[in-house]
Amino acid sequence: MRVVGITAAVATAATVWLALWVTPPDVTQGNLVRLVYLHPGVAWVALYLAFGLAAGASLLYLWPRTRSLFWDRLAAAAVEVGVVFNVCTLVSGSIWGRPTWGVWWAWDARLTSTAVLLVLFLGYLALRRVPAEPEARARRSAFVCLFAAVDVPIVHFSVLWWRTLHQGATVLNPDLTPTIHGSMAWTLLLGFVALTLVFVWMLIVRYRIGALEDRLGTGELDMALRQRRAEGAPEDEDEAA
Amino acid sequence: MGYVVAGYVIVLSILFLYGVQLVWRRRRLTRAVERLEPSATPGDRLGGRGTAPGTRRETGPGVGPAGSR
Repeated sequence: MRVVGITAAVATAATVWLALWVTPPDVTQGNLVRLVYLHPGVAWVALYLAFGLAAGASLLYLWPRTRSLFWDRLAAAAVEVGVVFNVCTLVSGSIWGRPTWGVWWAWDARLTSTAVLLVLFLGYLALRRVPAEPEARARRSAFVCLFAAVDVPIVHFSVLWWRTLHQGATVLNPDLTPTIHGSMAWTLLLGFVALTLVFVWMLIVRYRIGALEDRLGTGELDMALRQRRAEGAPEDEDEAA
Repeated sequence: MGYVVAGYVIVLSILFLYGVQLVWRRRRLTRAVERLEPSATPGDRLGGRGTAPGTRRETGPGVGPAGSR
């Protein structure tokens, strides 16, 4: 895990260095293009990696043959990290939009569907905090996750389905022909790799937190039971005597 | 260029602070689990593996060493 963390930090530092000091300004966007090395990367992690993984894990939990609390814990970890990356997506997009479009926010199809996605997964995290048996919590969380994940393809195709301010996909377009080249393309690619590594590191740590929380809950229950037994023990001995 | 720098500073700060918070939470929970299960082996601490029945030393209140009663 430490190797992943260090690699992620080095790759992120390299991306920032290439993005801010090495790559040239764009012909039309000028220096604002430098935000493009960050914004699609965080969006990629939030939408496709985090929420895609959460939906897959929820599906595997609901499937009787693969049902295990491992998948529930993995989905919860992926959603929490995904929500952080979703916030970063909206913030970086807003900062890019202000000088480009003249507004911090527009009720555009891509922006609105991304904001709806954030609200849906915040609801998922809120639902997980409702006290319940682990299995009941896992089952209803899995259903809510799959419901929320329906918005992911809507976000992706929103730029094709509706007329939007947001530009079309640069790399994952329908023809799969990237419209970015040279040092700009390599920096963008490195940004994707760096942020993916950051996500993997965060996911591992967050998963372990979930495992520790479950274990702590079980341990506290064991201790409470032992205390109750210990409280009852002298009375039993008196009765026996 | 101000917007660009602001974008990088804000986004990387959010990720950094969240990462620090994750590490802090993990350490706090690890300490809590160690307090609760002092006999847990190091490999057993983070993996979420259950302790085999009968292998855990009973340390709760009112439970003394074997043969003390």
